[in-house]
Amino acid sequence: MAIVIQPYRQEHESAVGEFNDRLQRWSGDPNLVFSETAVPRWLPPRTNSAVWNEYFVAVEGSTVRGAYALKHEQVFVRGKGILRVACYHHPLSEGIIDPSYASIGGLLIRDALARQPLLYALGMGGYERPLAKMLKVLGFSLTLIPFYFRIVHPARFLRHMQALRQARWRAILMDIAAATGTGWLAIRARQAAWALHGRSHSFDAQEISEFPGWADDLWNEGTEYVSMAALRDANTLRVLYPPDLHKTRCMLVSRGDAPMGWAVVGQRRGDPKFGELRVGSIVDCWARPQEAVSVAKAAAEALEQESVDLIVSNQSHQVWCRALEKLGFLKGPSNFIFAASKKLTQLLQPLEQNRASFHITRADGDGLPSNF
Amino acid sequence: MIFDQVRGIASDLFSVPADHITAGSSPHNIESWDSIQHLNLVLALEETFSVQLSPAEIEQMKSIGETAKLIETKLQANLR
Repeated sequence: MAIVIQPYRQEHESAVGEFNDRLQRWSGDPNLVFSETAVPRWLPPRTNSAVWNEYFVAVEGSTVRGAYALKHEQVFVRGKGILRVACYHHPLSEGIIDPSYASIGGLLIRDALARQPLLYALGMGGYERPLAKMLKVLGFSLTLIPFYFRIVHPARFLRHMQALRQARWRAILMDIAAATGTGWLAIRARQAAWALHGRSHSFDAQEISEFPGWADDLWNEGTEYVSMAALRDANTLRVLYPPDLHKTRCMLVSRGDAPMGWAVVGQRRGDPKFGELRVGSIVDCWARPQEAVSVAKAAAEALEQESVDLIVSNQSHQVWCRALEKLGFLKGPSNFIFAASKKLTQLLQPLEQNRASFHITRADGDGLPSNF
Repeated sequence: MIFDQVRGIASDLFSVPADHITAGSSPHNIESWDSIQHLNLVLALEETFSVQLSPAEIEQMKSIGETAKLIETKLQANLR
Protein backbone atom coordinates (compact mmCIF):
# COMPACT_ATOMS: atom_id res chain seq x y z
CA MET A 1 0.00 0.00 0.00
CA ALA A 2 1.31 3.44 -0.93
CA ILE A 3 2.68 5.87 1.62
CA VAL A 4 0.94 9.25 1.56
CA ILE A 5 2.30 12.27 3.42
CA GLN A 6 -0.45 14.59 4.55
CA PRO A 7 -1.24 17.19 7.22
CA TYR A 8 -1.72 15.60 10.64
CA ARG A 9 -5.42 15.63 11.58
CA GLN A 10 -7.28 14.56 14.69
CA GLU A 11 -8.26 11.29 13.02
CA HIS A 12 -4.53 10.31 12.92
CA GLU A 13 -3.94 10.77 16.65
CA SER A 14 -4.53 7.17 17.72
CA ALA A 15 -2.37 5.87 14.84
CA VAL A 16 0.41 8.26 15.93
CA GLY A 17 0.08 6.81 19.44
CA GLU A 18 0.56 3.30 18.02
CA PHE A 19 3.52 4.54 15.95
CA ASN A 20 5.08 5.96 19.13
CA ASP A 21 4.47 2.66 20.95
CA ARG A 22 6.30 0.72 18.23
CA LEU A 23 9.27 3.13 18.36
CA GLN A 24 9.35 2.98 22.17
CA ARG A 25 9.23 -0.83 22.28
CA TRP A 26 12.24 -0.95 19.97
CA SER A 27 14.33 1.93 21.27
CA GLY A 28 13.22 2.78 24.80
CA ASP A 29 14.30 6.34 23.93
CA PRO A 30 11.72 8.73 25.38
CA ASN A 31 12.73 11.34 22.79
CA LEU A 32 11.55 9.15 19.92
CA VAL A 33 7.91 10.18 20.13
CA PHE A 34 5.80 12.42 17.98
CA SER A 35 3.04 14.68 19.25
CA GLU A 36 -0.11 12.72 19.97
CA THR A 37 -2.23 15.79 19.41
CA ALA A 38 -2.76 17.06 15.89
CA VAL A 39 -2.85 20.68 17.06
CA PRO A 40 0.64 21.69 18.22
CA ARG A 41 0.84 22.64 21.89
CA TRP A 42 3.88 24.82 21.15
CA LEU A 43 3.22 27.59 18.63
CA PRO A 44 -0.13 26.42 17.24
CA PRO A 45 -1.34 28.17 14.09
CA ARG A 46 -2.99 31.48 15.03
CA THR A 47 -4.35 34.33 12.98
CA ASN A 48 -1.71 37.02 12.41
CA SER A 49 1.05 34.96 14.03
CA ALA A 50 4.33 35.08 12.13
CA VAL A 51 5.58 31.88 13.71
CA TRP A 52 3.70 28.62 14.06
CA ASN A 53 4.06 24.86 13.83
CA GLU A 54 2.48 22.50 11.36
CA TYR A 55 2.61 18.70 11.60
CA PHE A 56 2.62 16.07 8.86
CA VAL A 57 2.24 12.31 8.95
CA ALA A 58 3.28 9.57 6.49
CA VAL A 59 0.32 7.24 6.31
CA GLU A 60 0.09 3.72 4.89
CA GLY A 61 -3.60 2.84 4.83
CA SER A 62 -4.64 3.71 8.36
CA THR A 63 -1.17 3.17 9.86
CA VAL A 64 1.23 6.03 10.53
CA ARG A 65 4.77 5.18 9.39
CA GLY A 66 6.46 8.55 9.84
CA ALA A 67 5.95 12.14 10.86
CA TYR A 68 7.65 15.53 10.88
CA ALA A 69 7.04 19.12 11.89
CA LEU A 70 7.58 22.45 10.19
CA LYS A 71 8.02 25.59 12.22
CA HIS A 72 7.00 28.38 9.87
CA GLU A 73 8.70 31.64 10.62
CA GLN A 74 10.26 34.75 9.14
CA VAL A 75 13.94 35.53 8.91
CA PHE A 76 15.88 38.63 8.07
CA VAL A 77 18.56 38.08 5.43
CA ARG A 78 20.92 40.94 4.66
CA GLY A 79 20.21 42.32 1.22
CA LYS A 80 17.04 40.23 0.86
CA GLY A 81 14.82 41.59 3.64
CA ILE A 82 12.31 39.47 5.57
CA LEU A 83 11.66 36.02 4.08
CA ARG A 84 9.30 33.22 5.01
CA VAL A 85 11.19 30.03 5.84
CA ALA A 86 10.52 26.85 7.79
CA CYS A 87 12.45 24.80 10.30
CA TYR A 88 12.29 21.04 9.71
CA HIS A 89 12.11 19.29 13.06
CA HIS A 90 11.09 16.11 14.85
CA PRO A 91 11.30 13.81 11.82
CA LEU A 92 10.56 10.22 12.79
CA SER A 93 10.42 7.18 10.55
CA GLU A 94 9.34 3.58 10.88
CA GLY A 95 12.60 2.87 9.03
CA ILE A 96 14.32 3.13 12.43
CA ILE A 97 12.77 -0.19 13.41
CA ASP A 98 11.84 -1.84 10.11
CA PRO A 99 14.21 -1.72 7.10
CA SER A 100 11.18 -2.12 4.79
CA TYR A 101 10.53 1.55 5.48
CA ALA A 102 14.06 2.81 4.79
CA SER A 103 12.61 5.14 2.15
CA ILE A 104 10.53 7.17 4.60
CA GLY A 105 13.32 9.33 6.01
CA GLY A 106 14.10 10.67 2.56
CA LEU A 107 10.44 10.99 1.63
CA LEU A 108 9.78 13.17 4.66
CA ILE A 109 12.57 15.61 3.86
CA ARG A 110 11.68 15.81 0.18
CA ASP A 111 8.06 16.42 1.11
CA ALA A 112 9.12 19.25 3.44
CA LEU A 113 11.29 20.77 0.69
CA ALA A 114 8.38 20.63 -1.74
CA ARG A 115 6.24 22.53 0.76
CA GLN A 116 8.93 25.08 1.69
CA PRO A 117 12.16 25.17 -0.36
CA LEU A 118 13.62 27.72 2.07
CA LEU A 119 14.12 25.08 4.72
CA TYR A 120 16.54 24.71 7.60
CA ALA A 121 17.19 22.34 10.45
CA LEU A 122 18.99 23.04 13.70
CA GLY A 123 20.68 20.95 16.36
CA MET A 124 20.75 17.33 15.22
CA GLY A 125 23.45 16.25 17.68
CA GLY A 126 26.45 16.28 15.34
CA TYR A 127 27.58 15.59 11.79
CA GLU A 128 27.44 11.82 12.29
CA ARG A 129 23.76 11.72 13.19
CA PRO A 130 21.39 10.36 10.50
CA LEU A 131 19.48 13.59 9.93
CA ALA A 132 22.64 15.64 9.42
CA LYS A 133 23.92 13.03 6.97
CA MET A 134 20.66 12.99 5.02
CA LEU A 135 20.59 16.77 4.77
CA LYS A 136 24.20 16.74 3.55
CA VAL A 137 23.20 14.20 0.89
CA LEU A 138 20.45 16.58 -0.24
CA GLY A 139 22.92 19.43 -0.64
CA PHE A 140 22.17 21.36 2.56
CA SER A 141 25.03 23.55 3.80
CA LEU A 142 26.03 22.68 7.37
CA THR A 143 27.40 25.19 9.87
CA LEU A 144 28.50 24.30 13.39
CA ILE A 145 27.21 26.78 15.98
CA PRO A 146 29.84 27.45 18.68
CA PHE A 147 29.16 26.23 22.23
CA TYR A 148 30.32 28.16 25.28
CA PHE A 149 30.25 27.29 28.96
CA ARG A 150 31.22 28.84 32.27
CA ILE A 151 31.63 26.82 35.42
CA VAL A 152 30.04 28.54 38.40
CA HIS A 153 30.61 25.84 41.02
CA PRO A 154 33.81 23.98 40.10
CA ALA A 155 33.58 21.29 42.80
CA ARG A 156 30.04 20.28 41.81
CA PHE A 157 31.04 20.43 38.13
CA LEU A 158 33.96 18.07 38.71
CA ARG A 159 31.84 15.62 40.71
CA HIS A 160 28.75 15.54 38.49
CA MET A 161 29.71 16.32 34.88
CA GLN A 162 28.84 12.87 33.58
CA ALA A 163 29.90 13.57 30.00
CA LEU A 164 33.50 13.99 31.21
CA ARG A 165 33.40 11.18 33.78
CA GLN A 166 32.85 8.27 31.40
CA ALA A 167 36.44 7.03 31.79
CA ARG A 168 37.08 5.72 35.31
CA TRP A 169 40.58 7.22 35.52
CA ARG A 170 39.25 10.63 34.61
CA ALA A 171 36.42 10.39 37.14
CA ILE A 172 38.98 9.59 39.86
CA LEU A 173 41.15 12.56 38.84
CA MET A 174 38.10 14.83 38.84
CA ASP A 175 37.13 13.61 42.33
CA ILE A 176 40.66 14.33 43.59
CA ALA A 177 40.62 17.79 41.99
CA ALA A 178 37.25 18.51 43.60
CA ALA A 179 38.31 17.28 47.05
CA THR A 180 41.65 19.09 47.14
CA GLY A 181 40.50 22.35 45.64
CA THR A 182 43.05 22.18 42.83
CA GLY A 183 40.21 21.85 40.33
CA TRP A 184 38.56 24.96 41.73
CA LEU A 185 41.83 26.89 41.39
CA ALA A 186 42.55 25.65 37.87
CA ILE A 187 39.06 26.37 36.56
CA ARG A 188 38.84 29.78 38.20
CA ALA A 189 42.30 30.73 36.89
CA ARG A 190 41.44 29.67 33.36
CA GLN A 191 38.15 31.54 33.36
CA ALA A 192 39.66 34.59 35.03
CA ALA A 193 42.44 34.76 32.43
CA TRP A 194 39.82 34.94 29.71
CA ALA A 195 37.71 37.41 31.64
CA LEU A 196 40.45 40.02 32.12
CA HIS A 197 39.01 42.17 29.37
CA GLY A 198 35.39 41.47 30.17
CA ARG A 199 34.60 44.68 31.99
CA SER A 200 31.32 46.09 30.83
CA HIS A 201 29.80 49.50 31.25
CA SER A 202 27.24 49.99 34.00
CA PHE A 203 23.79 48.67 33.30
CA ASP A 204 20.46 47.92 34.93
CA ALA A 205 18.81 44.56 34.45
CA GLN A 206 15.19 43.84 35.19
CA GLU A 207 12.92 40.88 34.58
CA ILE A 208 10.10 41.61 32.16
CA SER A 209 6.90 39.77 31.45
CA GLU A 210 6.53 40.92 27.86
CA PHE A 211 8.29 42.77 25.09
CA PRO A 212 6.83 46.23 24.39
CA GLY A 213 7.69 48.67 21.60
CA TRP A 214 11.37 49.17 22.47
CA ALA A 215 11.98 45.61 21.27
CA ASP A 216 11.06 46.77 17.76
CA ASP A 217 13.61 49.59 17.96
CA LEU A 218 16.33 47.21 19.12
CA TRP A 219 15.41 44.73 16.40
CA ASN A 220 15.59 47.38 13.68
CA GLU A 221 18.94 48.70 14.93
CA GLY A 222 20.40 45.23 15.41
CA THR A 223 19.64 43.93 11.93
CA GLU A 224 22.32 46.27 10.63
CA TYR A 225 24.91 43.97 12.19
CA VAL A 226 23.60 40.53 11.23
CA SER A 227 23.62 38.67 7.93
CA MET A 228 20.74 36.43 9.00
CA ALA A 229 18.47 36.22 12.04
CA ALA A 230 15.03 34.84 12.76
CA LEU A 231 12.59 37.69 13.32
CA ARG A 232 12.87 39.04 16.87
CA ASP A 233 10.55 42.00 16.77
CA ALA A 234 8.14 42.70 19.64
CA ASN A 235 5.24 40.77 18.10
CA THR A 236 7.30 37.65 17.51
CA LEU A 237 8.94 37.81 20.94
CA ARG A 238 5.51 37.99 22.56
CA VAL A 239 4.57 34.78 20.74
CA LEU A 240 7.84 33.00 21.59
CA TYR A 241 7.96 34.14 25.22
CA PRO A 242 4.40 34.52 26.47
CA PRO A 243 3.99 35.73 30.08
CA ASP A 244 2.80 32.29 31.20
CA LEU A 245 5.96 30.55 29.97
CA HIS A 246 7.64 29.99 33.33
CA LYS A 247 10.51 27.89 32.07
CA THR A 248 12.48 30.91 30.90
CA ARG A 249 13.00 34.44 32.22
CA CYS A 250 13.12 37.48 29.96
CA MET A 251 15.31 40.41 30.91
CA LEU A 252 15.61 43.96 29.75
CA VAL A 253 19.09 45.41 30.05
CA SER A 254 19.19 49.19 30.04
CA ARG A 255 21.30 52.17 30.94
CA GLY A 256 19.26 54.89 32.53
CA ASP A 257 16.01 54.97 30.59
CA ALA A 258 17.58 53.65 27.39
CA PRO A 259 17.05 49.96 26.55
CA MET A 260 20.37 48.43 25.45
CA GLY A 261 19.29 44.89 24.76
CA TRP A 262 17.44 41.89 26.09
CA ALA A 263 18.22 38.35 27.07
CA VAL A 264 16.27 35.21 27.83
CA VAL A 265 17.69 32.79 30.37
CA GLY A 266 16.51 29.48 31.74
CA GLN A 267 17.54 26.31 33.49
CA ARG A 268 17.87 23.36 31.14
CA ARG A 269 15.80 20.32 31.91
CA GLY A 270 17.53 17.17 33.14
CA ASP A 271 20.05 15.63 30.80
CA PRO A 272 22.08 12.50 31.62
CA LYS A 273 25.29 14.06 30.31
CA PHE A 274 25.05 16.80 32.95
CA GLY A 275 24.26 14.38 35.79
CA GLU A 276 22.92 16.26 38.81
CA LEU A 277 24.31 19.60 37.69
CA ARG A 278 21.99 22.59 37.61
CA VAL A 279 22.59 23.92 34.12
CA GLY A 280 21.60 27.47 33.26
CA SER A 281 21.44 28.65 29.68
CA ILE A 282 21.64 32.00 27.97
CA VAL A 283 18.88 30.99 25.63
CA ASP A 284 18.47 34.06 23.51
CA CYS A 285 19.74 37.63 23.32
CA TRP A 286 19.74 40.72 21.17
CA ALA A 287 21.59 44.04 21.42
CA ARG A 288 23.72 46.46 19.53
CA PRO A 289 27.24 44.99 19.20
CA GLN A 290 28.79 47.48 21.64
CA GLU A 291 26.30 46.38 24.32
CA ALA A 292 26.66 42.62 23.89
CA VAL A 293 29.11 42.21 26.79
CA SER A 294 26.79 44.05 29.19
CA VAL A 295 23.74 42.05 28.10
CA ALA A 296 25.59 38.72 28.30
CA LYS A 297 26.92 39.70 31.73
CA ALA A 298 23.43 40.57 32.97
CA ALA A 299 22.17 37.21 31.71
CA ALA A 300 25.02 35.29 33.37
CA GLU A 301 24.51 37.12 36.67
CA ALA A 302 20.80 36.34 36.62
CA LEU A 303 21.61 32.64 36.23
CA GLU A 304 24.24 32.75 38.97
CA GLN A 305 21.58 34.15 41.29
CA GLU A 306 19.57 30.99 40.57
CA SER A 307 22.54 28.99 41.94
CA VAL A 308 23.25 27.14 38.73
CA ASP A 309 26.47 25.11 38.61
CA LEU A 310 27.17 25.66 34.94
CA ILE A 311 26.11 28.24 32.37
CA VAL A 312 25.97 27.24 28.72
CA SER A 313 25.14 29.05 25.52
CA ASN A 314 25.19 28.41 21.80
CA GLN A 315 25.92 31.54 19.80
CA SER A 316 26.79 31.88 16.14
CA HIS A 317 27.38 35.63 15.85
CA GLN A 318 30.98 36.64 16.32
CA VAL A 319 29.99 39.60 18.50
CA TRP A 320 28.22 37.32 21.02
CA CYS A 321 31.00 34.74 20.86
CA ARG A 322 33.54 37.44 21.72
CA ALA A 323 31.28 38.83 24.46
CA LEU A 324 31.06 35.42 26.14
CA GLU A 325 34.81 34.91 25.86
CA LYS A 326 35.41 38.29 27.46
CA LEU A 327 33.22 37.18 30.36
CA GLY A 328 35.31 34.08 31.00
CA PHE A 329 33.22 31.58 29.07
CA LEU A 330 35.22 28.74 27.55
CA LYS A 331 34.56 27.30 24.11
CA GLY A 332 33.59 23.62 24.18
CA PRO A 333 32.94 20.98 21.53
CA SER A 334 29.68 21.70 19.75
CA ASN A 335 27.23 19.29 18.19
CA PHE A 336 24.72 22.02 17.35
CA ILE A 337 24.39 22.33 13.59
CA PHE A 338 22.59 24.80 11.37
CA ALA A 339 21.65 23.15 8.07
CA ALA A 340 20.27 25.31 5.24
CA SER A 341 18.63 23.93 2.12
CA LYS A 342 20.18 24.66 -1.28
CA LYS A 343 17.66 27.43 -2.00
CA LEU A 344 18.19 29.04 1.40
CA THR A 345 21.96 28.69 1.08
CA GLN A 346 21.83 30.56 -2.23
CA LEU A 347 20.28 33.51 -0.40
CA LEU A 348 22.95 33.41 2.31
CA GLN A 349 25.90 33.86 -0.07
CA PRO A 350 28.76 34.52 0.34
CA LEU A 351 28.31 31.86 2.99
CA GLU A 352 31.89 31.75 4.27
CA GLN A 353 31.82 35.47 4.89
CA ASN A 354 28.25 35.68 6.20
CA ARG A 355 28.10 32.73 8.60
CA ALA A 356 30.10 34.60 11.28
CA SER A 357 27.29 37.13 11.51
CA PHE A 358 24.34 34.72 11.51
CA HIS A 359 22.44 35.25 14.75
CA ILE A 360 21.45 31.76 15.85
CA THR A 361 20.83 30.71 19.45
CA ARG A 362 19.16 27.89 21.36
CA ALA A 363 15.88 29.74 20.98
CA ASP A 364 15.90 29.07 17.24
CA GLY A 365 14.54 25.92 15.65
CA ASP A 366 12.68 23.81 18.18
CA GLY A 367 15.13 24.63 20.97
CA LEU A 368 12.65 26.15 23.39
CA PRO A 369 10.43 23.13 24.01
CA SER A 370 13.27 20.66 23.48
CA ASN A 371 15.60 22.06 26.13
CA PHE A 372 13.55 23.99 28.69
CA MET B 1 21.28 -4.05 -18.77
CA ILE B 2 19.42 -1.60 -16.51
CA PHE B 3 19.58 -4.18 -13.75
CA ASP B 4 23.39 -4.32 -14.09
CA GLN B 5 23.64 -0.54 -13.90
CA VAL B 6 21.38 -0.39 -10.83
CA ARG B 7 23.37 -3.20 -9.27
CA GLY B 8 26.62 -1.29 -9.95
CA ILE B 9 25.26 1.84 -8.28
CA ALA B 10 24.02 -0.17 -5.31
CA SER B 11 27.36 -1.96 -5.05
CA ASP B 12 29.21 1.36 -4.81
CA LEU B 13 26.77 2.89 -2.37
CA PHE B 14 26.34 -0.07 -0.07
CA SER B 15 29.99 -1.23 -0.29
CA VAL B 16 28.87 -4.71 -1.27
CA PRO B 17 30.50 -6.65 -4.17
CA ALA B 18 28.25 -6.52 -7.25
CA ASP B 19 28.12 -10.30 -7.52
CA HIS B 20 26.62 -10.44 -4.03
CA ILE B 21 23.71 -8.25 -5.11
CA THR B 22 20.70 -10.03 -6.58
CA ALA B 23 17.21 -8.98 -7.58
CA GLY B 24 16.09 -9.97 -4.10
CA SER B 25 18.65 -7.76 -2.31
CA SER B 26 16.84 -5.34 -0.02
CA PRO B 27 17.28 -3.36 3.20
CA HIS B 28 16.50 -6.63 4.99
CA ASN B 29 19.60 -8.41 3.72
CA ILE B 30 22.00 -5.53 2.99
CA GLU B 31 22.99 -4.11 6.35
CA SER B 32 24.30 -0.81 5.00
CA TRP B 33 21.01 -0.08 3.13
CA ASP B 34 19.63 2.37 5.67
CA SER B 35 17.54 5.50 5.21
CA ILE B 36 20.59 7.61 4.32
CA GLN B 37 21.80 5.16 1.68
CA HIS B 38 18.27 4.83 0.36
CA LEU B 39 18.26 8.56 -0.22
CA ASN B 40 21.70 8.32 -1.83
CA LEU B 41 20.37 5.55 -4.09
CA VAL B 42 17.40 7.70 -5.15
CA LEU B 43 19.65 10.65 -6.00
CA ALA B 44 22.18 8.45 -7.83
CA LEU B 45 19.43 6.84 -9.92
CA GLU B 46 17.90 10.23 -10.75
CA GLU B 47 21.26 11.56 -11.88
CA THR B 48 22.41 8.47 -13.78
CA PHE B 49 19.17 7.91 -15.66
CA SER B 50 18.02 11.56 -15.84
CA VAL B 51 14.66 10.75 -14.25
CA GLN B 52 12.66 12.27 -11.40
CA LEU B 53 11.28 9.79 -8.92
CA SER B 54 8.00 10.61 -7.23
CA PRO B 55 7.33 9.76 -3.57
CA ALA B 56 5.18 6.80 -4.67
CA GLU B 57 7.96 5.51 -6.91
CA ILE B 58 10.61 5.92 -4.21
CA GLU B 59 8.44 3.90 -1.92
CA GLN B 60 8.29 1.09 -4.52
CA MET B 61 12.07 0.62 -4.27
CA LYS B 62 11.85 -2.28 -1.86
CA SER B 63 14.55 -4.39 -3.55
CA ILE B 64 17.16 -4.08 -6.29
CA GLY B 65 14.93 -6.05 -8.66
CA GLU B 66 11.94 -3.76 -8.06
CA THR B 67 14.17 -0.72 -8.34
CA ALA B 68 15.59 -1.85 -11.70
CA LYS B 69 12.07 -2.61 -12.95
CA LEU B 70 10.90 0.84 -11.89
CA ILE B 71 13.77 2.53 -13.76
CA GLU B 72 13.09 0.43 -16.88
CA THR B 73 9.43 1.45 -16.81
CA LYS B 74 10.35 5.12 -16.35
CA LEU B 75 12.82 5.05 -19.24
CA GLN B 76 10.35 3.28 -21.54
CA ALA B 77 7.67 5.85 -20.65
CA ASN B 78 10.13 8.64 -21.48
CA LEU B 79 10.75 7.09 -24.92
CA ARG B 80 7.06 7.07 -25.81
